[in-house]
Amino acid sequence: MKFTFAPESSPLEGYTIKRAIHRGGFGEVYYALSSSGKEVALKLLNNNLEVELRGIRQCLNLKHPNLVTIFDIRQDQDGDYWIVMEYIGGRGLYEVLQGYPDGMPIPEVLKWLSGITAGLSFLHDRGIVHRDLKPANVFSDQDIVKIGDVGLSKYISESRRSAQTQSVGTVYYMAPEVAKGRYGREVDVYAIGIMLVEMLTGRVPFDGETTAEILMKHMTAEPDLSRISEEVRPVLVAALEKDPQQRIQDVEELERRFRSVVNAVAPSGPSRTKPRGQPAAPAAERRSPVVSPATATGLMASAFKTWSQLPAPAKWVIGGIAAFLLLETRILRPVATGALLGGFVSMYFGYKLLSLMFGSQRQTKSARQKTPPESRTGFRPELPTAVHRRQPMSGPAKALTSALLSPATPRRIVFAQRLRDLTNSLSVVPVAVVLVTLAITLTTNMLPGTPEAVFFAAVTILASWGLIVSGKLREGRVGDVFIRRLFQGGIGLSVGLTAAGLSHYLMLSDEDFLNSPDAAAKPWVMGKLTVSDGSGFPTTAAFMLFFGVLFALRRWWWQSDSFRRSRFRVSTALFTLFLGAIIGGLLPGFPDALGATWALAISAVVQLSAGWTPHEDRLPTPGSNVRKPKSVECQTTLHVGEREPVVQA
Amino acid sequence: MASLLNPVSPKCSIAPVRIKTPLRDPAEADRMFLLRLTADFEDASVSSSPNRSFMLWIDGVGAWQLCAGRRFTIGAPSFENPSADVALLANISRNHAALHYQADTWSVTASQPTSVSGQPIHAATGLRSGDQLCLADRVRLGFRIPTPLSSSAVIDFESNHRPTHTVDGIILMVDHCLLGSRRDHHVCCPEWPDVVVLYDQDGTLRCRSSAPLCIDGRLVADSARLESGSVVTGDDLRFRVEEVSEDTDRR
Repeated sequence: MKFTFAPESSPLEGYTIKRAIHRGGFGEVYYALSSSGKEVALKLLNNNLEVELRGIRQCLNLKHPNLVTIFDIRQDQDGDYWIVMEYIGGRGLYEVLQGYPDGMPIPEVLKWLSGITAGLSFLHDRGIVHRDLKPANVFSDQDIVKIGDVGLSKYISESRRSAQTQSVGTVYYMAPEVAKGRYGREVDVYAIGIMLVEMLTGRVPFDGETTAEILMKHMTAEPDLSRISEEVRPVLVAALEKDPQQRIQDVEELERRFRSVVNAVAPSGPSRTKPRGQPAAPAAERRSPVVSPATATGLMASAFKTWSQLPAPAKWVIGGIAAFLLLETRILRPVATGALLGGFVSMYFGYKLLSLMFGSQRQTKSARQKTPPESRTGFRPELPTAVHRRQPMSGPAKALTSALLSPATPRRIVFAQRLRDLTNSLSVVPVAVVLVTLAITLTTNMLPGTPEAVFFAAVTILASWGLIVSGKLREGRVGDVFIRRLFQGGIGLSVGLTAAGLSHYLMLSDEDFLNSPDAAAKPWVMGKLTVSDGSGFPTTAAFMLFFGVLFALRRWWWQSDSFRRSRFRVSTALFTLFLGAIIGGLLPGFPDALGATWALAISAVVQLSAGWTPHEDRLPTPGSNVRKPKSVECQTTLHVGEREPVVQA
Repeated sequence: MASLLNPVSPKCSIAPVRIKTPLRDPAEADRMFLLRLTADFEDASVSSSPNRSFMLWIDGVGAWQLCAGRRFTIGAPSFENPSADVALLANISRNHAALHYQADTWSVTASQPTSVSGQPIHAATGLRSGDQLCLADRVRLGFRIPTPLSSSAVIDFESNHRPTHTVDGIILMVDHCLLGSRRDHHVCCPEWPDVVVLYDQDGTLRCRSSAPLCIDGRLVADSARLESGSVVTGDDLRFRVEEVSEDTDRR
């Protein structure tokens, strides 16, 4: 990072710059000494001049131990304005938070909170809203909490509540009504609420890749407070109310309510001892009791984590063994029944697991965002605070995008591009089917002869085409999931009908490979629909039901979407295989092993054939599948916020 | 205050370092670079010149005091006599305690009540990285040796007692001082692309880095002597070295 003024220069008479402190959104800040040796922070204003000057002049004579004191506003020989401020030597809350990726101990949180509350309540009492409260603006010097950038505070009176619509400040802490331009002191309550969540859990409740996304979450999404204990949660919910009228109205009330619940949760009382040495590793036992630990779902989550951490070849081997066991042994039916029962029982836990998975993804993200840049970054004078976000998309940044740019991301795809993608995908299907069928023929004795193999392949091609067409045509569009599933179910019914017809045409309808002896002599008729005729061979209705249900139950468009996580996911194929086994198992007269194999084959073919965009080429906007220079993509992440690493005053 | 300096032997020659050596792992490159440098100091001897003290004004990082010597005193500032090396505005004696580096070990002696990690001391006591020094019951200082590659120690302020001007920490340099992005550097400068090494040679402070540096506007390829007031600039880094003389304040 390079700065305008060199050490020992004196742009302002009477002050000698000793070093640069940092560069923030409003200008460079230097540490300087007066001619008699008084330490000050000098802030050179280079943009937003009028806004800042107006705000600062109003705060020039405020005196409070928890506010960074402004000594003077001076103009140098070039006509630039400087703010002469109290120099704060301690660490900022932003820096301290980096040492606690899983949240700070409660006494520490309370220490910061009481200082912030005292300073803000002093400001609010004078009709001033800080409006840019964030960890990078809060410091602790010799154990006294100091709020900086008070100059940015907005002077408000009842009549001027809607004065300024310009949105500045860091969006992570920005109350929803700020975007609308009408706000009062409740925005500071909201910012403290966000900071409390961050202090308790180590991450902000609303996170995202772009400013717009975060703002949208502030306005519409419910904060993720799952890691906050139930006693504390209502206080934070009240502080993070979307509607300022419903929100806790003043900062003192927030502190009072927070203290009362925290004291109830941790009655042992705070011990004010500071951890020795580096605060980098606050041990698990230091975690606040206010943060609820993951318990019941922990095991499942760790199992999932283990699976996701396995190298791809290991996944293939395990997946292959599982598929082989299912198809080759006679354990299919019990496994299917067991899985079904287990599925119902764990439905509740499954839901929690999903939320946990979502949560853990967020955690990594926050943690990564705070990681200081490892790689070499050049000097970019125009946007220094965002320098670490301007590196080429790789590693963490790539993971970030992949988390966000999913098949669910709405995007506009030009018709020609959509058509090209679709035709490419469809033309690959037969090749993939041949390969898959060949693999099945060679590894199992499922398809004893050529007619069987042709029948299997033809149905798989048809099914894959149907699914890819329905998926690709709706790709990037927002639509009702239920309707999509219904539509897919319809395609499934047609595929089933065709399969039944084809089996008769190829005279396979009474061949062994379609026979399931268990179902023999157990006819199952539903009204006029003969699901099983007792012969042990699948009826037309059984075919239709199998494919219809299989297509409706699975979110197939995620398997064909260009923005799926990877081109081919073993777990996706395996899960489909399980589903096929269960549906086949439940349908009397339908060969469950064949059903499972079909499900697996269709999933494999769809994933292998459908067009896929590598992560680094993904763009949420037009022409999402077109390769664009990486820098363009990085630009979209530039304005995430101004989380300055070290800010002094 | 019989302070000792450690000029390296006249034969000591520092092998020229290739600039921008493309090594895969920056940490490994760093280590190799430091190992080569430290090897050059193996036959360092001790001189009897007094300690020298410098301020390092590092842009974007902070202000650090660098003391070069083998014996470092801790006390309150003095108006008549030279102040202690670690001069703290605290209710302690002007010559409260002293830290020594001798025969590869650090020890502390005290003339006033002092404890090391909770244990009151009465004679010379060994110090290990991570120990806490407590002077007159209230002044707490952290003592750490950040890296095994160097014996130089860092004093952290754990209570609110500081020198007369804000200093982030004090480096007691017995061989060299590393400034870089890692936590095990004496001064952690998180955004610095390269490590910069400061060392004392024949009573002069010198500086070198694996990356090209400019000192007072002149590009230096290998190592260069630092004068009081020298400004060192590099890719994404800048700091100024200022010698703290006996009669000026530390600023």
